[in-house]
Amino acid sequence: MLISLNWIKKFVDINIDNDELIKLIGARLVEVEEAIDQTHKYDKIYAVKVESCEKIEGTHLSLCKINDNGRAADVERDEDGFVQVMCGAPNVHAGMFAAWIAPGAIVPASVHDAEPFVIGMRCMLKKYDSYGMMAGADELDLGDDHSGIVELDPATTKAGDDFAKLFELDDIILDIENKSLTHRPDTFGIIGFAREVAGILGQKFQTPDWLLETKAAIENKGVKLEIEIADKELCPRYTAVVLGTEGDHKKPYLTYEDTLLARSGMRPIDAIVDITNYIMLLTGQPLHAFDYDKFVAVGGIETPKIIVRAAKSGEKLTLLDGKEVELVESDIVITSNNIPVALAGAMGGANTEIDENTKRVILESATFSLYNLRKTQMAHGIFSEAITRFTKGQPAGQTLPVALYATKLLEEYMTPIAVFDSQKETPTVAPVVLPLTQLNSLLGTDFSAEQAKDILESVEFNIKLDGDNLVATAPYWRTDIHIPEDVIEEVGRLSGYDNISPVLPLHATSNVNEMFTLKTDIRNILSSYGANEVLTYSFIHGNLLQKVGQNLENSYRIVNSISPDLQYIRQSIVPSLLDKSYANLRAGYGKFALFECNQVYTKTAGLDEDGVPQNAHHLGFVFVNEKSDGNYYTAKLYLEKMLAKLGVNYDIEPFHVAKDSSNAYYESKRSANIVVNGQLLGYLGEIKQKILRDFKLPLGVAAFELDLSVLLKNLGIKAKDFRLSAYPSVLRDITISQPVDASFSELEKKIKAALEAKNLIYSLECSSIYHADGADTKNISFHIKFSDPAKTLSKDEIQAIMSTLESIN
Amino acid sequence: MSSDLETKIATLKSELKAINSEYAKIKEIPAEKRAEFGKQINEKKQAILAQIAEAEAAALETEVEPLDITAPCGLNGNMPELLHATDGSQHPLMTELDRVIAIYQSMGFDIVESRQLDDEYHMFDSLNFTKGHPARDGYDTFRTEEGFIPPAHTSTMQHRVLKAYKHKLDEGEVIAVAVPGRVYRNEDVDATHEHTFYQCEGVYVSKTCTLGNMLGILREFFEKYYGQKLNIKTQPGYFPFTEPSLEFLIEKPKALGGKGGDWLEMLGCGMIHPNVLKMAGIDPTKYQGFAWGGGIDRLAMLRHGLGDVRHFESAKLDFLKEFSC
Repeated sequence: MLISLNWIKKFVDINIDNDELIKLIGARLVEVEEAIDQTHKYDKIYAVKVESCEKIEGTHLSLCKINDNGRAADVERDEDGFVQVMCGAPNVHAGMFAAWIAPGAIVPASVHDAEPFVIGMRCMLKKYDSYGMMAGADELDLGDDHSGIVELDPATTKAGDDFAKLFELDDIILDIENKSLTHRPDTFGIIGFAREVAGILGQKFQTPDWLLETKAAIENKGVKLEIEIADKELCPRYTAVVLGTEGDHKKPYLTYEDTLLARSGMRPIDAIVDITNYIMLLTGQPLHAFDYDKFVAVGGIETPKIIVRAAKSGEKLTLLDGKEVELVESDIVITSNNIPVALAGAMGGANTEIDENTKRVILESATFSLYNLRKTQMAHGIFSEAITRFTKGQPAGQTLPVALYATKLLEEYMTPIAVFDSQKETPTVAPVVLPLTQLNSLLGTDFSAEQAKDILESVEFNIKLDGDNLVATAPYWRTDIHIPEDVIEEVGRLSGYDNISPVLPLHATSNVNEMFTLKTDIRNILSSYGANEVLTYSFIHGNLLQKVGQNLENSYRIVNSISPDLQYIRQSIVPSLLDKSYANLRAGYGKFALFECNQVYTKTAGLDEDGVPQNAHHLGFVFVNEKSDGNYYTAKLYLEKMLAKLGVNYDIEPFHVAKDSSNAYYESKRSANIVVNGQLLGYLGEIKQKILRDFKLPLGVAAFELDLSVLLKNLGIKAKDFRLSAYPSVLRDITISQPVDASFSELEKKIKAALEAKNLIYSLECSSIYHADGADTKNISFHIKFSDPAKTLSKDEIQAIMSTLESIN
Repeated sequence: MSSDLETKIATLKSELKAINSEYAKIKEIPAEKRAEFGKQINEKKQAILAQIAEAEAAALETEVEPLDITAPCGLNGNMPELLHATDGSQHPLMTELDRVIAIYQSMGFDIVESRQLDDEYHMFDSLNFTKGHPARDGYDTFRTEEGFIPPAHTSTMQHRVLKAYKHKLDEGEVIAVAVPGRVYRNEDVDATHEHTFYQCEGVYVSKTCTLGNMLGILREFFEKYYGQKLNIKTQPGYFPFTEPSLEFLIEKPKALGGKGGDWLEMLGCGMIHPNVLKMAGIDPTKYQGFAWGGGIDRLAMLRHGLGDVRHFESAKLDFLKEFSC
């Protein structure tokens, strides 16, 4: 939203400099995205009188002498002091006043261009010197009109006047971030915005009397119209004025209001449209005009009837822009005796459009349900200045006064005939009672009742003091004030939150979040083992699920995603890691480990006690090595070391495909279930070869994925068995032969049992597993280190121990 | 590879060869029949290629050698080794989150991780957004078929946190909780926009806490975070779940090259709306609170001078190794 500071100044006496003001607006009302300085945009542009104007035969040009009252420098003047300018506009004529861009000035429409256009002296048709240019509305950045030059009102213009001064164009335009004013429809009008500025500056604002009008003083001069509101929720109030009109409404001269429209980002069109737009910018209330006689004809009954109702599904309406729209039930329609003539808040219908034959108009000033209009906006993609204001919920109190003010301004072109209003009585507003203690205890301030009263009265709250209670009645435009906290916000905001002292409260210490700590521990451990932590999207393409053999039906599906890449919520982490591995191989990394701790969701997990999908915290890990086609044991080493560091004992059990096939991507002959205290912790294994080929990954990529909730439950601080012997240790190597398909862990258990049976302190480390080609046995070698806790072992004792171990099979 | 499959593949390959040589005869075919001929040959060829691919895949599957899942290494294999510690790295966003959490914990805040899939009730209704309110649009939420919402802000946890910690108020203590988490907005990704990002929420409720206390906590947090005294300021904001609502800014710290006069918008905050307390079963006439939420990505980008938010979820080692141990 663009706000002209000069326009604001029409309503508030601003006694601080602009920078300070903009800072205060930012701190106490709304973020100012940009303050666009236009104070020099119209420098060296003068009002001039065209003293003579001769058409040059055979061209569209006229040779003009203009009077700038000697203002411009560096120009050649004739004996009368006039300057010669060529002009191609068809409407240039002697005696008129025009806006002249003098040599050396920048054409205003080009000020924001990379290379602003600076006017100079040109020699035209090879013989006429032409100084500067007489400007059209488009060149002045005050409109789109390029059909001729701008004509200035001789009644208010003198030759040589600064163009900027005539229209107060030395302005600062504030670009306002609308979003944080969603709840403040009143600030979408200049008057509402100015009221806030007054409040911020501690001044009492006085709303113009016409905006407080509650009664129409126009007598019906003989037209009929009924207004019927089907549902007051959809349309709390509808005011209509009928006016008579004739001829076109071209304005002869550029007006001050035209320049305000332009500065607010709109464009002047014709007198009637400009007045309705001007009033919308001023008050926030959009207006719409229908052709009364067409409206009557559409309805086809003697007493015309405006019926406002919800649209029927499938109902059709051709809008002013010529497009036919199919209406939906959330749309609100204005109808003539039930036949739609406008899509409420959005656009009028073609069937009641005003044209050059229009004799009477209906001017609509109404307010509609913002919820419905929001849906209309979405359903039909209409994003006009008007609907933007409607979707903030314009107050019902303003429809009549705004309609009456519009009527007054339109009287120059039209004759008021009658006013109709759906609301007969002015509703009363219930006051909000705010105890002073509540105000101060919420903000941490010490306002007196009088101070709070003054602040609120500056923005026209009606405040009565009842002991230490503020009884606050909000003005009708403050539709956002319902509870004491709403009033507290006003006091805090207008007086400046930055005046509140920051104070630290005291409270007890916190508890540790064990899951968060576990994740941090895991991240520390794995990264210290050379693995790289990644973050990948929670949303994945359906193809990825299919690639790894997961069931699409088990994934929550996103229905409004911006891309098919974000269609499903992932069931596990490892597929995302596989998906990201290829790019890293291509980037030249031949061997790496990726991991991620994150949440996953599957439909099979069901809902939790809040009725939302059960979440699971997972750790996913992959190990890629293009030089090895089997990495199970490397992934296992990572898992083993990590769990050892976390103090978790686990078992490796044969792999099983999960019922929901969420782990179907593991090669079952080279994968395992990881179990802790009988609970399934996760899976470890190599990925199926076909899947790896689909991911363009080398064979043997290994992965594991763990359910961190299970891990957390089995995490215990357990004292390690720190038995250190005071006596010398014995170091030995031993090789034991086993059938080729025997389990390593079974053998390891037997060795440990044998050492423990002798109450020895020991360590055991496998050094190799050898298998001769074609043999049906394998040789497993260990480094063993042992000592006795109570004595130095003798040679014989050592021999006996070794014999026991060697006899294991 | 089993010999059966080997034979089968060899047969198929020779068939393919035959078809290829048959194709060479196309020159002898009358011009008008060439298209039809070519099409037939091609169909045959595609069929055989598919069979070869299938057989080769089957051959590969049968090739898979089982292994001893309990062993430390394979038969005749080398003992596996970990990568070098210096290759490892932690994700900068997670490191940033750790820093933030550590400060909140030192300030007496409990930590509750935010959910990544939630519902309309927690995302909007319980936060005093009226049904169909335009403010809901501002969040550009994703939705699942069932109407669940990957949350667009960590405030989605506010209602749960208030309910879960209500007992603290009964015990005469305060609610002080920080909620980190991953959140989502349905928007196009570019250098400054991600549909997936991280936030951290703060929730504080007691009998007596004030807006001044909120400013005190926030200033303390950022002063600890940047290790220096900071100037702060606020701007009015609008959130349906706080009243008053503010934007909180800090003057750009020296650590980030701030020279004074530049302001950074860090988060949105405000006093918790009484309706939000009420819905969680907390009596707003007895207790009051405040809440805030801000982005983690922004903090990490400022700290590391990153210009492109897309790096974070790229999982590219080129990027990640910049953060190696």
